[in-house]
Amino acid sequence: MNNKSPVIVFIGQPNCGKSTLFNSIAGYKAQTSNFPGTTVTHVHSEVLWKGKVYSIVDLPGTYSLAPHEPQEKVVLTHIFKEKPDLIVNVIDASLLSRSLELTLELLELEYPMVVVLNMMDLARKKGITINVEELEKKLGVPVVKTVASRGLGTDVLMETIENALRCQTRSIAPCYSREVEKRIKELMDILPEDFPIVANKRFTAIKAIEGETLAADKFISEHDLAFKQELDRLRQEISALRDAPAYEVISAERHHLALKIFEDCCRVARPKVSAIDKLDNLIMDPVLGYFFLLVIFAGMFYLIFKVGSPLETWLLKPWESIRLSIESHFGRSLLAELLVGLVQGIGGGIAIVFPYFIPLLFLMGFLEDVGYLARASFLLDAFMHRLGLHGKSVPMFILGFGCNVPAIMATRILESRRDRIVTALLIPFIPCAARTTIILALVAFLLGPWWALGFYFFNIFLIAILALILKRWFKYDSPGLILEIPSLKVPSLKSIWQKIYFNLKEFVRFAWPILIAGSVLLSFLSYLQFDRLINTILSPLVSGLLGLPQSLGVTLIFGFLRKELSLLMMFQALGVGYGQLMTVITKTQLLTFVAFVSFFIPCLSTLSIIWKELGKKVTMMSVALNLSVAVIVSWLIRLVSSLF
Amino acid sequence: MFGRKSHSHNAVRPYAEGLCSLLEVPEGQIFKIAEIRGGQGLHRRLLALGFHPGDLITLDNEAIMNGPVLVRNLTTGTRIALGRGIAQKIMVEAAGSDEQ
Ligand SMILES: Nc1nc2c(ncn2[C@@H]2O[C@H](COP(=O)(O)OP(=O)(O)OP(=O)(O)O)[C@@H](O)[C@H]2O)c(=O)[nH]1
Ligand SMILES: [Mg+2]
Repeated sequence: MNNKSPVIVFIGQPNCGKSTLFNSIAGYKAQTSNFPGTTVTHVHSEVLWKGKVYSIVDLPGTYSLAPHEPQEKVVLTHIFKEKPDLIVNVIDASLLSRSLELTLELLELEYPMVVVLNMMDLARKKGITINVEELEKKLGVPVVKTVASRGLGTDVLMETIENALRCQTRSIAPCYSREVEKRIKELMDILPEDFPIVANKRFTAIKAIEGETLAADKFISEHDLAFKQELDRLRQEISALRDAPAYEVISAERHHLALKIFEDCCRVARPKVSAIDKLDNLIMDPVLGYFFLLVIFAGMFYLIFKVGSPLETWLLKPWESIRLSIESHFGRSLLAELLVGLVQGIGGGIAIVFPYFIPLLFLMGFLEDVGYLARASFLLDAFMHRLGLHGKSVPMFILGFGCNVPAIMATRILESRRDRIVTALLIPFIPCAARTTIILALVAFLLGPWWALGFYFFNIFLIAILALILKRWFKYDSPGLILEIPSLKVPSLKSIWQKIYFNLKEFVRFAWPILIAGSVLLSFLSYLQFDRLINTILSPLVSGLLGLPQSLGVTLIFGFLRKELSLLMMFQALGVGYGQLMTVITKTQLLTFVAFVSFFIPCLSTLSIIWKELGKKVTMMSVALNLSVAVIVSWLIRLVSSLF
Repeated sequence: MFGRKSHSHNAVRPYAEGLCSLLEVPEGQIFKIAEIRGGQGLHRRLLALGFHPGDLITLDNEAIMNGPVLVRNLTTGTRIALGRGIAQKIMVEAAGSDEQ
C-alpha cells in the first residue's frame, strides 16, 4: 500500500449507505443495494482531492465490533492489521439511536474519526430533526450530513476528512456509568505487561470483559491464571450490577448512552403513515404478499420478453443482411468465413444479448434498490426451511438471475458453511442473464413465450428438487433466520443506471470479446474442418444420448466459456440464419439443446468463483451435479416428447 | 393476561409471572423485552442488532406455514425478521402505560 496517501476506511452498520457514499466519491466501484450485507469484501480506491491523494476503503457493514458473519470479520482485519489513518463512521440517520451503538464502540478505539449522518432525506421524512452541533459535542468528533444517493454533502465530507487528518485529534472514549467504569479501570491497571494490547489499554480491557471469543479466554487462562481469576471476578461484579452477563451489561451501557445522546440531540415529530408504509404492509402481507411475489416475478419475465423480442427482431435484420452480402461477395473463402464469424460475434452481442440483458439489469436493479430482496427472504423463509435452507439464501438466488458469480460471492453472509455449500451448489442452476437470453431468444422467440415461461418454472421446480436431494446429503441444522428488514426506498434512477452501466461495461470489456473471438475461432476451425473432429468425439453424447445434430458438439465446448456462446455458435454450426433455424432442427431438439446447455456445467467464471470461495471439492461436486442433471433432464425431455 | 395464541407444536413452558414468549403475543400490541434466552451466540447477535431488554417492541406480522415473524423495535425504530425458534426465546412483558 502507498505509504504517502492516508488510508481512510468506511465503517458502519449494514445498509447505511457506505458503498453509495464511496461510489459518489470514488466513482462506481462497489455494489450497492437496499439489503443489509451487500458488500462482502473490501473495495479500495485512490481519490484525488485538492491535489492530494487519499486511499479510501469501503468495507462490509457490521453491527458491532464482535463479528458473527464471515464478511463482518473483514472489518476487524482492517481496523487492527492495516491501521487506518482515519475512520469514517457512516450512520443511517433514520436509525440514529441504534447506529450510535457501533459509533460508541468505534470511539473506544481512539482513532481519528469522522461521523457521517447519511440518509438525511429519510430521517427528515421520518420526522427526525438532528442537532449536529450538539451531536458533535457529545461524540467529540466532527459530524457531517450527507445524502449519498444524490451525492449531497460529499465535498463537505472530504474537507472534514482533510481537516481531521491534519489535526490528528483522536476520538475520546465514551464514559459509562460509575460502577462499570470502576471495573474497567481496575482491569486496565492489572493488565499484564505482555498482554496483547489492541488499539489502547481501555479498549483492550473492555473487549476482555466482553470476552469476545471463548478462545481468547482460553489463551488468557493458559498464560496467566492469576489474571484470568481477576478477570472473572470483575466480570461477575459487572454481571451482578444488572443481573445479566457482563457482555450484556456493557452492551446495555452503550445502548442507553446511545438512546440518551439520541434524545438530547434529536427531536422526533410524530410521523404520518405514508403511502410507502401502506405498500410495505401489502407486499409483506402473509397472504397477499405471495400473490405479489408471483406477479412481480412473472411480470418481470414478461416485461423483459416484451421489450426484448421486438428489439431483437429489429436489431437482427441489418446483421443478417450483412452476413448474406458477405457470403454472396466472397463465396466460401477463408476470408468470408472469418468475416461471417466476426459479424456473428458482434451482431450477436448487440442483437441477441443486449435486448434482454439491459431490461433484466434494469428490473433487477429496481428490485434491489426498493428493498424487495429482504422482503422476499421473509416471505420465502418457511419454504426454504422445507428445502433445508433458510430465507437468507433467497437474495442470493435472486441475484443469481443476474449473474451467478456475485450470487456465489454473496453466500458469505451465511453463517454456516453447510448452508454456503448447499446454496453455492444450487445457484448454478439459476438461469442467469446469459441463460435467460438463450431461453428468451431461442425458446420464447421461436416457440412462443409460454414455452419459455414453462421452461423457467420447470427450472425453479428443478432447483427445489435438487435442494431436497442435497438436504439428504448434507445434514440439516439451519439456524433460524435473523435478518434486518430495511425500509422501502424510492429507487433513484441514477443508482439503477450506474448498476446497468457497470454491468454493461463488464460485458463489453470481458464477455463480448470472448463472444467475438469464439465466433471467429469457430469459423476458422470449421474452415479447417477441425470442428468435425470435435464433433465426432462428442458424437456419442450429442447425437447418441441427446439426439441432436452432430454438428452442435463443438458449441458445447464454447458454452463452457460463456453460455451465450453456445447459442451464437448454434447458428454458425448448423450453417443457417436466425430465421431458418426451425427448418433444420425440431422443437424437441431445440428444448433438449437449451436444457443441456443451461445445466451441463457452470460457466468458467462461475466455476472459478466456486473454487475460490469454497475450494476444489465443492467445485468438483458442482460439476458432477450439473452434468448428471443436464443428462437426466435432456433425456427426460426426449422421453416425454416421444410419448406425444 | 394477554390474549394467548395456541401453538400446538411448541408446548408452552411455565414462565415467570407475566412473562411470555414473543410467539404468544397478539400482533400490533406493544410489549417490553424482559429477557433474551438461548445461547450466547444468539444473545450477542440480538444485542448487536439493537434488541435489548427494556426495549419496546411490537409484532408486526407473521409469515404463513410457520414462517418467521416480523418484529419492530419501537425504541430504536428498526425491524427484523426472526425465525420462530428464535422469536420463542425472546421473553416479553406488558409495557407500562406511561411507556406506551
Ligand atoms: N434515500 C436514500 N437512500 C440512500 C442513501 N444512501 C444510500 N441509499 C440507498 O440505500 C441502499 C443501501 O446502500 P449501500 O450503499 O448498498 O449500503 P451499504 O452500507 O454499503 O450496505 P452493506 O454493504 O450491506 O453494508 C441503496 O439502495 C442506496 O441506494 C441516502 O442518502 N438516501
Ligand atoms: Mg456496501
